[in-house]
Amino acid sequence: MRSIWAIFSVTLKSADGAARRHDGATARRVHSVFLEEAQKSGTSSRCVVVPSWLSPWAVLLSVAAVILGGTVLVASQPQPRRIISLIPAVTEMLFALEAGDRVVAVGSFDKYPPEVEKLPKVGALLDPDLERILSLRPDLVAVYGSQADLRTQLERGGVAMFVYAHAGLADVTTTIRELGTRIGADARAAGLVRDIEERLASVRRSVAGRPRPKTLVVFGREALALRNVYASGGIGFVHDMVTAAGGDNVFADVNQQAVQATTELIITRRPDVILELRAEPLSRDAEQKERAVWNRLGSVPAVRNGRVYILVDRRTVIPGPRVGEGVEVIARLLHRLPW
Amino acid sequence: MLRAADVEFGYGETPVVRGVSLDVPADGFVGIIGPNGSGKTTLLRLLAGTRQPRRGALTLDGVPLATLSRAALARRMAVVPQETQLAFEYTVLEVVLMGRYVHLGAFEVEGPRDLEIARRSLAATGTLDFQHRPFATLSGGEKQRVVIAAALAQISAVERSDTEPAILLLDEPTAALDLRYQLETAALLADLHRSHALSVVVSTHDLNFAASLCRTVVMLKDGQVLASGGVDDVLTPALVGRLYGVEVDVSRHPQSGHLTVVPLRRMTGARP
Amino acid sequence: MRPLRVRLALAVAGFGALAVLAVLTAPLVGSSSISLARVFDRSVPFADNPDAQIFFIARLPRTLAGALVGAMLASAGVVFQGLLRNPLATPFTLGVSAGAALGAMLAITFGWSLAWLGIPVAPLASFAGSLLAVGVVYLLATARHRGLSTHVLLLAGVTMNAFFSALILFVQYFADFAETFRILRWLMGDLDISSYQPLVTALPLVVFSFAAFAWLARPLNLLNLGAEAAETRGLDVLRAQRVAFLSASLATGAAVSVGGPIGFIGIVVPHLVRLLVGADHRVVLPASALFGAAFLIGCDAIARTIMAPLELPVGVITALIGGPFFLWLLVRRA
Repeated sequence: MRSIWAIFSVTLKSADGAARRHDGATARRVHSVFLEEAQKSGTSSRCVVVPSWLSPWAVLLSVAAVILGGTVLVASQPQPRRIISLIPAVTEMLFALEAGDRVVAVGSFDKYPPEVEKLPKVGALLDPDLERILSLRPDLVAVYGSQADLRTQLERGGVAMFVYAHAGLADVTTTIRELGTRIGADARAAGLVRDIEERLASVRRSVAGRPRPKTLVVFGREALALRNVYASGGIGFVHDMVTAAGGDNVFADVNQQAVQATTELIITRRPDVILELRAEPLSRDAEQKERAVWNRLGSVPAVRNGRVYILVDRRTVIPGPRVGEGVEVIARLLHRLPW
Repeated sequence: MLRAADVEFGYGETPVVRGVSLDVPADGFVGIIGPNGSGKTTLLRLLAGTRQPRRGALTLDGVPLATLSRAALARRMAVVPQETQLAFEYTVLEVVLMGRYVHLGAFEVEGPRDLEIARRSLAATGTLDFQHRPFATLSGGEKQRVVIAAALAQISAVERSDTEPAILLLDEPTAALDLRYQLETAALLADLHRSHALSVVVSTHDLNFAASLCRTVVMLKDGQVLASGGVDDVLTPALVGRLYGVEVDVSRHPQSGHLTVVPLRRMTGARP
Repeated sequence: MRPLRVRLALAVAGFGALAVLAVLTAPLVGSSSISLARVFDRSVPFADNPDAQIFFIARLPRTLAGALVGAMLASAGVVFQGLLRNPLATPFTLGVSAGAALGAMLAITFGWSLAWLGIPVAPLASFAGSLLAVGVVYLLATARHRGLSTHVLLLAGVTMNAFFSALILFVQYFADFAETFRILRWLMGDLDISSYQPLVTALPLVVFSFAAFAWLARPLNLLNLGAEAAETRGLDVLRAQRVAFLSASLATGAAVSVGGPIGFIGIVVPHLVRLLVGADHRVVLPASALFGAAFLIGCDAIARTIMAPLELPVGVITALIGGPFFLWLLVRRA
């Protein structure tokens, strides 16, 4: 009696269970097709799922099965060749992992590296364009963990996903590793992680003996006014970066990513350095005016000593492969090191 | 005194009132009767000067109403609307004092004289005891009398000279009242007409009410005057039949002395 | 019932004392402790005196903003309720706040800037937005009618609210994450103005509005009788409605551009005041302005201290107090 063995090699490691479930679903679907065929031709069939690291063994097993008189079908998860990323950090990671040629579309806010300018944009956190995404026939889409609707729709469409979640500085390297495995670039990922960690260690060494300035890191506020000031709390990768750069976040005791910094709070916490992180560049004139807005808080040391900085550098706002450089930039500002 | 000459008015394209002429003399008690939708309320608005006619003229002592200021009009004429609904809890006294608006400057506060006038008006309508109660807690009849008191306070004789009699216009005053309050209101109006020397114009569809009070009656049908004149001349079975399409019997009631109209049956056959 | 002058004097004295108390004590509370002695210590230069800085830069402008915004929103609420003859009307019923929100959102999302003028653009854009909303509603309500139809006014206002809200959602798609967050927080109200400049800028509008409100007190009483009846009592109804609508809308627009659309003051305060002083607008208007100031200052003080060192948006506190109150009002009327 002939048997058909269908062996599926599946990636077990993924950021959450989605990939595994998906691959399992595909496996079952193909298995049911073979079940039909097998019944028609009067043969029995069996389906075996093996993890990807067993693939070489799966080949041996299948050779054995052929010898024993069966037909074997071996399928293994191919490396994604058409990748879409909605997340700026992930886009940067993909290009840093030298998989840029496999990226077919990016999110609306992705700006680095310059090659992404030419790529189609499919929306971002709040407005992903599902139709556009599907029309590009991706085999891997990097999505935010909070995009529940999009994830459901992509699952239904049978599209594999890499699920991303904002977190701290340490998670940047973890994400790079996971992404590397997912796209079959493990070695390159390991190298990238090593580079980042070396850079970070170097920064830590150079700031080790220096005094740690109290730092207020501002994400955003209203233009030309000290209203709606949002600063980094004690959680999140900006806080981690500032800490790694040898600064003391004035809101380190607040267990939130973002804190609404009222005038009273700023005066009370007396930061030595005020760092405004911006994504869009400002004209020199506008920058001067924006920095001048802080002058009314005369008792704050940062204002008195002229240490209010407006930093326009994507390396400091994107938790991507260039965080090491971002930390360097911040460290130079905090400790007044020469460029 | 207050005269309408061939007035025409409509809210949209079609005229609601057409070719209407009537005269309210200095000592008059005029009833405007007609079925619903015949234009009674509109005519009252025209007479009060809150709407301008498309054609024709409305004059007070020969002066066109349109040329008189709102304040001047308000000092001579007061309107008692069919219903008064207040959104907030004003007391009875506050409602009556609102009638003094036109006599005070922009930031002037009511003085003792205004309070005196208000109290007298309340007394005249028998509602002085309610003065500190919230208006909304009164019954329909009591509310009506309070609004009449407010109208009285507005056209109080103190501010007018004798040569300028005042006019009280009432829109369906008894429409929502029960028998007892109907009677009381009728008595009140008769009394005010006599003792305060007021001219009264009343629009109503209650023929007996009109018959008991009015000296002259204007019949309004489809926006046009069907007949006008003394109450005895107008309230005849023929005219009432033409106005309402109802056969009636009109007779003088032995005890009240007024004309009474009793409906008998609907008219059939030719259109009235 | 006591004569009007006495009632007015009592109301102003009572609520005025409350407002003064609020203004004097609010700057003393906050997430950090300061000492009054150090605040007024002249020997220390201002720039080196954190206590004085907190008092004069963080807390005092905030308290004054609370007084101004609270007074304007409360009295505008009274005027709108009188104009629409509806005790459930608020300053935001007719679309003013939706227009203001749209203006502010556009400014925040598209990063509009008047950098060359040196003034922040969001409050200006918000005010312009509220004027636009008011203008459209007014034109709709006076389009085909002799005078101002309050029915059409109400319908037009509710429609504009819905329309502007839809536009706001649309604009939100262009906003990135940080901008959306800031817009949401602006919508919840924020009195931390940290300078006296917005107050000075708003002052002419405040003076104008309050003057108009003073004139409107008696006309609003009469409007209660209905437009037709009020006219027969000698009121120039159209003029009164126009002045009421425009002055109350301007006051609301100015209040929203200073502190954002803080809800529930325009309905809670007028009702509480009417329960205490009666319905005569000549007493209700000044009393509501004073009580509104005290109320908002109080809510802001709670918002600043209840979760110290963090702050809740003041709109959350007014909603937590105002929401149940509103429900109670509805139940009571039913």
